[in-house]
Amino acid sequence: MAMRQTPLTCSGHTRPVVDLAFSGITPYGYFLISACKDGKPMLRQGDTGDWIGTFLGHKGAVWGATLNKDATKAATAAADFTAKVWDAVSGDELMTLAHKHIVKSVDFTQDSNYLLTGGQDKLLRIYDLNKPEAEPKEISGHTSGIKKALWCSEDKQILSADDKTVRLWDHATMTEVKSLNFNMSVSSMEYIPEGEILVITYGRSIAFHSAVSLEPIKSFEAPATINSASLHPEKEFLVAGGEDFKLYKYDYNSGEELESYKGHFGPIHCVRFSPDGELYASGSEDGTLRLWQTVVGKTYGLWKCVLPEEDSGELAKPKMGFPETTEEELEEIASENSDSIYSSTPEVKA
Amino acid sequence: MQTPQAIPVPVPVLRLPRGPDGFSRGFAPGGRRALLRPEAPVAQKGPGQDSLESQEQQARAALRERYLRSLLAMVGHPVSFTLHEGVHVTAHFGATDLDVANFYVSQLQTPIGVQAEALLRCSDIISYTFKL
Repeated sequence: MAMRQTPLTCSGHTRPVVDLAFSGITPYGYFLISACKDGKPMLRQGDTGDWIGTFLGHKGAVWGATLNKDATKAATAAADFTAKVWDAVSGDELMTLAHKHIVKSVDFTQDSNYLLTGGQDKLLRIYDLNKPEAEPKEISGHTSGIKKALWCSEDKQILSADDKTVRLWDHATMTEVKSLNFNMSVSSMEYIPEGEILVITYGRSIAFHSAVSLEPIKSFEAPATINSASLHPEKEFLVAGGEDFKLYKYDYNSGEELESYKGHFGPIHCVRFSPDGELYASGSEDGTLRLWQTVVGKTYGLWKCVLPEEDSGELAKPKMGFPETTEEELEEIASENSDSIYSSTPEVKA
Repeated sequence: MQTPQAIPVPVPVLRLPRGPDGFSRGFAPGGRRALLRPEAPVAQKGPGQDSLESQEQQARAALRERYLRSLLAMVGHPVSFTLHEGVHVTAHFGATDLDVANFYVSQLQTPIGVQAEALLRCSDIISYTFKL
């Protein structure tokens, strides 16, 4: 039986969702944080999309959000010229880190001891979270606003993207190691630690580079301008979304377009696979997050696949308003109200 | 009628993701990660003040509930209102709006006649009484 994808829509935001991030897999499952122009980033349970809480405190649009590996801390980057660190269990604000311009990107190191920030002031900043009063270390060199800044190579290096370049920096020496130039605006960047792969999107291209050498591995062209792409943890698929409101799923090895999904009512700004690869989340200009199954029809999270033999007709019956109605009663009601079209006795036609 | 071939069936879902509750910032103590919360409150308040606040909150909730039930009990009954400037009017109570800013009444007896339907502004009312 062919199954059609049922995306799960997570509502709550009132303005476009511009960034989202998953945590690692914790003993309590995995979690998802969404950054929104309404200034109120939200934490959700990763496998169901259930809202857990909203981080209140920013006074401007939140452009970037991230969780640490065990989802105990969250960090957000906002248009109010601050980055904030939060306790992701209680929702309390732990630190406010003042910047000189809009902050766009935040990233924790694996041990959650340091926070990397980047924004419109063109500086990369490294904060020691155990010494919040100390001045951050600054790395300059970008000539336009930083859109994304990520730790890589076990936090020994830093990757940062501005409008037309992607740069690799050494953490210890704070100097530039390598850079890539693009003649189109870089819309997003994702780092995959296993395999040291960098996913970069620009124009209609989805490009894969080595995160160590920045050498290109491969690239695909999508039917429309892509704003974000994500590679599956097992590197079998990639998903991408952009200006035509659709989500595309490709086979990573062959580049073949496998599926495309309509659903969002606005451009897609961010897409990310969950840490177990079973679903991917998309954030859109329409203010919603949607969760999509990687394998359509699999029982996972809120998706419950019922095989024809198992299905006693329960899913087809209206559940609401008829809790006490038995199967026989339903049939009786149907026959009382039914037309001759539905009667079991065949009519003799002249 | 022949059954059409292979119409893709949408994957059934148990329910939709739960959204924000609309009145709190969330992070409920009863969540999956309740065990991770520190035992002592993180904020500056001591444990004694904490329970005082929760007692106050419970009292407020109880009073609010009683008031809302009183409004329910008033529906259809004649109510006499004391307005400003020593004006007294009686009417049959209908309903209030969400913020209790307006009282919808019928058969309002005013010094200049009877109004079939009227809206009384809460800010104009000093007090009102009715018999149960």
